[in-house]
This record gives sequence, structure tokens and C-alpha cells, in this order.
Amino acid sequence: MKLKQLFVIVLINLFAAAITGCAHVAAWERGYLAKPQMAIDPHPLQNHIQLHNYSSREAAASTHSADGGGGCGCY
Amino acid sequence: MVKKKNKPRTGPYQIISSVSASKTDAAKQQQKTAVAISGSSKTLQALTSAAIVLPGLLLSSAQAADGDHINFQFSRYQEGKRNLYGLPNSQNPIRADVLHGSGLFTLTDRAKFSFSYTQDTWSGATPITTTPLVANPYSSILKNTPTGVAVSGASPLLHPGNVLLDRDLNPIRNDTGEQDTRSVLVLSSASPETRNQANFGLGYEWDDAAINASAGFSLERDYRSSFGNLGGRLDFNQKMTSVKFGAGYTSSDISAILDHDAAPYLTKTAFTSQIKRPGDGSEILQGDRQDWIASLGLTQILTKHALIDANFGYTHSNGYLENPYKAMTVIFVDPDILNNGQTTPVSGDVRALLEQRPDQRNQFAFSTKYIQHINPFDAALHLNYKFTTDDWGINTNTFSANWIQPLPGGWTLTPRIRYYSQDAADFYNPYLISQQKYFLREAVDSQGRQVFFDSADPRNEYVQDENLNLIDSDGNIVDQSTVNVVPKMVFHDSDQLPDNFSSDHRLAGFGSLSGGVTLNKQLARGVSLEAGFEYYTRASSFKLGGDGGNGFADFDYYVANAALKLNLESMRLPGSSNRIHQHSHHGESQPSTHKQKQKHDQPAGVMFAHMLDNAGEFMLGYRFMYSRMAGKMLHGSNAASDSTIVNQGCNDENLCTFAPTDMDMRMHMLDIMYAPTRWLNLMLMPRFMDMEMNLRELDGRPPPTAEEHQHFGGHATGVIGDTLMASLIRLYEIPGHRLHAGLGFSAPSGKTDLQLRRVFKVDGGSIHFGMQLGSGTWDFVPSLTYTGEHNRWSWGAQVSGVKRMEEKNDAGYRLGDLFQATTWTGFDLTHWLTASVRGLYTVQDRIHGDFNSFNARIGPMDFPANYGGQFWNIGVGVNAVIPGGRFAGNHFGFEWLQPVHTDVNGFQLDRKGALAASWSYHF
Repeated sequence: MKLKQLFVIVLINLFAAAITGCAHVAAWERGYLAKPQMAIDPHPLQNHIQLHNYSSREAAASTHSADGGGGCGCY
Repeated sequence: MVKKKNKPRTGPYQIISSVSASKTDAAKQQQKTAVAISGSSKTLQALTSAAIVLPGLLLSSAQAADGDHINFQFSRYQEGKRNLYGLPNSQNPIRADVLHGSGLFTLTDRAKFSFSYTQDTWSGATPITTTPLVANPYSSILKNTPTGVAVSGASPLLHPGNVLLDRDLNPIRNDTGEQDTRSVLVLSSASPETRNQANFGLGYEWDDAAINASAGFSLERDYRSSFGNLGGRLDFNQKMTSVKFGAGYTSSDISAILDHDAAPYLTKTAFTSQIKRPGDGSEILQGDRQDWIASLGLTQILTKHALIDANFGYTHSNGYLENPYKAMTVIFVDPDILNNGQTTPVSGDVRALLEQRPDQRNQFAFSTKYIQHINPFDAALHLNYKFTTDDWGINTNTFSANWIQPLPGGWTLTPRIRYYSQDAADFYNPYLISQQKYFLREAVDSQGRQVFFDSADPRNEYVQDENLNLIDSDGNIVDQSTVNVVPKMVFHDSDQLPDNFSSDHRLAGFGSLSGGVTLNKQLARGVSLEAGFEYYTRASSFKLGGDGGNGFADFDYYVANAALKLNLESMRLPGSSNRIHQHSHHGESQPSTHKQKQKHDQPAGVMFAHMLDNAGEFMLGYRFMYSRMAGKMLHGSNAASDSTIVNQGCNDENLCTFAPTDMDMRMHMLDIMYAPTRWLNLMLMPRFMDMEMNLRELDGRPPPTAEEHQHFGGHATGVIGDTLMASLIRLYEIPGHRLHAGLGFSAPSGKTDLQLRRVFKVDGGSIHFGMQLGSGTWDFVPSLTYTGEHNRWSWGAQVSGVKRMEEKNDAGYRLGDLFQATTWTGFDLTHWLTASVRGLYTVQDRIHGDFNSFNARIGPMDFPANYGGQFWNIGVGVNAVIPGGRFAGNHFGFEWLQPVHTDVNGFQLDRKGALAASWSYHF
């Protein structure tokens, strides 16, 4: 049941992305997208710390496997 | 120059750069170009990486930043005090200090190497279980004071005795008889613990694809894991669309020393086969776990102003998924009494059982991020949503938003807000009530004889024969005075308990709200500072769909961090600084000039030994120092026997019982140097250290008392040390000879009041002097340095000292003053490599004063007279400056210091040597 919900959400999003993604943006029109603030992870150092703390305090699937087990959850 | 830099990345992005640059007027052109340079690769990153939000895989290290870079970061996590409903709570909340360094280097046009190193040191009180409040799971610690006995703290109880329950099994108060269903956390403190983690990655890029491989390990005293990841990216549709994929594996070994206070009161029957007893009284719970991770993601450009990133991840875990330090409180109620037809309260036996989680977990995660450029502000809005679900019954929802606002003057301000909610795991409960007796009866063997076991090792069982002799399992009579036997009991029926149970509040249902801000400032081209702050508050009542019912576990924390980011590529761009250009050619064209000499022939272990030659010049450097003490205990310069140490190493009241077997000290130091004028240089050197010490029991020590401070394994401390500030003043200079003085101060930023945890209700007290992280006093650090060179030879000499400027620090003592003299000579093997030999003499006074707080005084390291001495060393080292190419101008130095003679004050551990490594870069 929960799994089914999840897949529905995934599908809807993929569709949404595919449909809206049809508008073609030529390479020379990507000036705004090239700005640092538009990067998917504009602050990697901050993000790293936040994820580290969230994963030690919350039960959501870890989003940072490259951290390894680490045992950071021990405190 | 832009094209040259981006050579491997042919494709649309260079066009972006030139277009955006050509649109601007001439005055802004240079600045815009800089933006475009970083922007172009940021787009690549935007289009390609995104792996950070992928559960499971991190492609990011190689892609998350443009070009070659090095980052240093310090971060502090500080939790607020937990609410214990007025129960005494003297324990400090959790604090974690994290030191992080990472870098990325281009190996060839398309191949990159990345590394990262993280060190966490944490201490403080953490919940071990939850009980009904009426169980009153803390006992007061009393202390004699001049005005009488006072409560000085509280120690947690896992087996606080019995609670009263009404016939519906609700807890009721002892005093008033009223129902009180509140629960409370049982907190226990820990001595400082340190974790070290290292990652290494290799990446390779094509025009429309990339692959990355990374591997690493994380080491802690009780938890070791190693991991590997493989990932890739494919671009389609003229790079409008990128698909990312990856897989990772983590293998972990857990070897947890059970809390020596808690272990005797813990029920561990479910894990008997996993518990090892090394024989020193400790119990070690061992386990292993594996985690497999797979992920798939998509990044799509939507419009000129927006893009979307979606990721799906699956994690499978199996093995020992418990937290070895968490227990479940189970209240055992005798069913015969409960069902006797009366209405009076019944008594429940409160026990703590090691938590039991399923040995498998499957987690699914989906996350999506929408990024919109907001034209009027030139800002970017990032909207994130994440949903995860797993077969433990935990669904989570996360919403967050960031607003990234570039400001004039190289500033960027990013406020952010986040909301998170999770459901409880199926097996989460604050505590359990079981309708059976904890002890059913005394155990008997097949012949009906009562069974006993050795309290030191429960695997050894005994019975008594008809003469009441103790007989072991082989039928041999055992001397009763040699073992401490207790009757074996038949415990409760674990089948009547759930298969899995945990009271870890991280598995409870709750919500959290957090917000923060990040501030960036670009100082010079390629050098920027970043600072971040976040406040987080967790509340059971914030949960989506209603209160989680565990408000007793609510808490908050803040995280503050500061980072220095160096973009090596920007720093060496032509035009950004002539000095860089010059410098990169020194090695090739002017191998024998004074300038070049001046920069790289001092051994890596010598501080304050070189000055910058040009006004306005900057230097950034990093030094790592490692020293090890191990082997014999010395008295003066001779080895001391255990019996001598026992009798003379401490004092008449306390004979020594322990001595160190080894001690490792690691120090990381940033070296920031600036030359406002040619004759004056200013230096700032923050230091971070971590130390580890292991102890052994001395032969012939006095027998332990009941309340003795016990040591298992060792201890570790970290991480902020004292901060050095210095100015260097050029005194004299003729060709081939120069002389300068250093005037420095050391600020007491390192702690001197670190404590060992409370053990057996006895305070561990202040940790040994040598393990404290700083001097605790303001110190004067003068130096005088002479250097010279002729042809391929160079030489130098330095005298330096440390004078404590205060009578004592806040902890009650002061370290001894120190004087050092050193001289060295170097020879240029090639124009970029220098070898050096050095002699070093150090004399340091003993410690004066003593801890003004309790100190356990178990060995020589706890006595001020056993510090300082005279030390002679020989150092051999090499210095290299990269003469050309991509890394031109980077300077590296290594030096090993070998002790040749040691004459210590009192009793101290012998020295094994020290390593110094340094990196620096001028610009």
C-alpha cells in the first residue's frame, strides 16, 4: 500500500518533468542556469553537515551513503 | 583564458560564458567573466551531479565544486538540555566538534582525484532508555560541603527498583497514589569519543558522460566501517537531460564496550552469543552489518529559469542494526498478583533489556528539487521535497526551501527553512509492561541440584555436591575462595515479549522544524569564507497527522560552522595575481635566487622560520604534526620498574595503579600569513588537536578498592586547541643572510577542564594534564631566527620559547615554560627538492599548581611533577616546491624527528618520534 503510493508519486513527478521538459532551451539561453546560485547543491559543505546531523537524529533513509556507517548515530 | 581553463569541457557551456560576458559593459566585464568561469562549471554540476540528495551514492565530491579546490571547515553541534520533569540533571548535553578537510585535484584533462577527511569528537549525555517518571530513574549524588551535605548531581539508574501500577497497568505515584503516565528519558554521560573518516575518489569525464568511483573508511573505538561507491552520469537531449545512477556498499563491524556502569543492570540474554568478556571485567557486544544502496536520478532543464532534479534510492541493510548502547525498559508484573481479584496497586519490577531491532531493513526514498531563478533579485529559490518509507513502518516527509541571494561585494546570503515529520517504527515504545515475573525461579540441573555461575564469567557454571563443595562442569572440585559464584536464575519467558522493541526516540513519531542561514564572502579571487548557522527543534507535537505522544523526548540543537574555501584554479588564473605567476616560475627560471631559497628550505617542523618577501602577499598553509609516546616508562633518562612507579610515581597518599602504554597526539594547524609591509608579517594559526591514550595496570599495584576508578581501553580528547597569533619582524638582511624576530601570543582557546565520565557513581574527574587540549593560559611566544644560503646549501638557527603569562589557568594549574634551540642545514638535491638535517634541543619546566577539581590520580600522568624535562632530537626532512604545471607553486615539506636523548622530570613515558608535514601556497 505505502509502496504503491510511493511509486505513484514517482511516476507523477517523472511525467511532470518529462512534459514540462519539452520546452527546448538552447545552449546560449542557459545563462541564468549557469549561475552559481542555480547549482543543484550550491553549498556542498553546508549540505554535508546538515545531512550528517539529520541522519543522526532522524530515521529517514540516509541520503549520504558515502559517509559509511560511521556510527555517528551513536550519540 | 576561459576557454583554456575549460578545455576538456567542450560543449554549450563555454558559449554561455562568452555570451554572458559579452552582454555586459566593459566596466563589469572582468567581474562577469569570473562569474561565468565558476558559473559554467556550476552548470555542469547542476546538470550532472545532484547525487547529494540521492540516498546511496555520492558522485558529488568530484563534481560538487568547480575545478581544483581545497576546503577546511570547523563545525560545532550543541544540543540543549533535555527536559527531565525536575529530576536532578547535572549532565552536560551532547556536543560534537567536527573538523573537515577536502580537496579535488585534476590529474589529467579528464581525470580527477578527490579526498576528504572528517574528524568528529563528541561528549555529553545521551538517552539510554525511557522509564515511567514515577520510577524516578536517577539517584542523587551527595557531596560534603562546609554547610552540610548537598546534592551535586544525579546518576542514572537502569534498575531503579519497583513502580506501582494500577490494575489497568498505569503507573501511579508513590506519594499521592495518583495516576501519572508521564515518561522520562534516562540519560548517561560519555567521556569524549573520536571518529576519523577518510574518503578517496577518482572520476573520469567524457563530453556527455562521467563515471566516479570512491571508497573510504570510518574508524571509531567501537564502530568500524568501510565503504565503496560506483556511479555515473549520461547526458541527453543537448544536455537538457541528465540521468544519474549509482550503487554503494558499506560493511561495518561493531565492537561496543558496554557501559560499565550500566552493564550489571542490563539484561543481555538475547545477545549472549555476541558478548565477549576479555577478562578485565568489561563486556564487549560484537556485531556486524551490511548496507547495499542503489539509486537512479534525473535532472531536467525546464525553462531558461528553472530546472528540476528527481532521485530515487533503495537501501537494503542487514545484520546487527541495533544501537548497542540503547535499552528497553520492561516492567514485569506478577500475573498471579495482578489477577487476584483485588483493586489495590500492584508492584512492577523495572528492568532494562538491550534493545532488539529486526535484522533487516529495506528503505525506499524519493526526493525532488525544483530550482527557479528569480530575475528581479538575481536570486535562486530551491524547493525540496523528500518522501521515504521502509519496512519498519517509518514513513517520512521533508519539505525545505532555500533562497540564495547574491549581494554586492562578493557576498552571498542563503536563508533556509525545513520541516520534517516521521511516523514511529512498528516496534517503538517508550517502555513495555510484561505480565510475568522477571525471575521465575532458581535454576537446577537434570539431577535437581541448584546451579551457580561465576559472576566474572557467566559461562562457567557450577553445582554443589552433598558436602557443599563447588563442582565445575568437568566434575572437579573448585576452591570457593577463587571464584565469586551466584545462583543461576531462570528468567522470564522472552517469547512473551515482542520480537523487536526499541525506546530509541529517533524511531518515535515526531516532527521537527529548523531554520538557518549561510553567509559566503569571496575575499580574493579563489579564496572565500563561508559561515553557517542552524537551529533545530524536535517536537512530538509537530508530527504530521497528530501528536506522536513522546513529548518527553523533545529537544533542540544548534549547529554553527565556518569554512575556508580555496579554489586553486582561480587562484592561479593569469592576471589574478602577478605574484602567483612569478612564483610558479621561480623553480624553473630562478632556482638560486634568494626569493626562491627563502621560501622552501626550512624543515617542516620549524615554525616562524620564514617571511613573505613582498608587501600585500598572502600565504595559506596547513601543517600536520603527529607525535607518539610509547614503550618504557622513564625516570629521568632511565627505565623505571613497575614497583618503582607504584611507590614513587604518585604520592604517599595515592600509590600509582596505572601507567600509560602509549599516547598519540595529532595536530592540524592552519597557517594564514599576510605581509602588510615587507618588514612585517602577521600570522594567525588556529590549531586543532586530538589525543589518545591507553593505560595498563601496574604490576604490584595496591589492590583495588570498591569505588575505584576503572579504565577499560583508553580515552580520547579533541578538538580545538590554542590559537597562535604572531608577527614576524625583519631585523637584518644582506645577500645570503637574514635575521628576523617573532613576537607571538597563544590564546587559550583549547579546553583544560575535560572530564572523564562518572564511573560506578564515582566521578572520573579531570582527564590527565597531558590530554587536555590547551594550556589554559595566555602565553607569550617569542622567537629569533637566522637563515642563510650559499649556492646549493642553506642553513639556519632559531631560538624560541613559550612563557606562560598567568599564574594558573581556570582549571587551577599552568604548564611549564618552554625553551627551544634548533639549527639546521639543507642541500638542494634538484632545483625543486631540498633535503635537510636538523638538531633540536628542548627544555620544559614541570607543571605548576594542580587541578582545582577532582582528579582520580591513578598514575604518574596525573601529577604535575611528572611533566617537562630535557629532550634532544635529530630531524631529517625534505622540502619540495612544484616547479611547473598544474600544481606550480605548491610547497610541501616533511620531517621526521627522532629522539636521541630524553631526560624527563619525574616519571614519564618514553618518546618514539614525531612527524611534521606541511603544505603552503603563496598568492
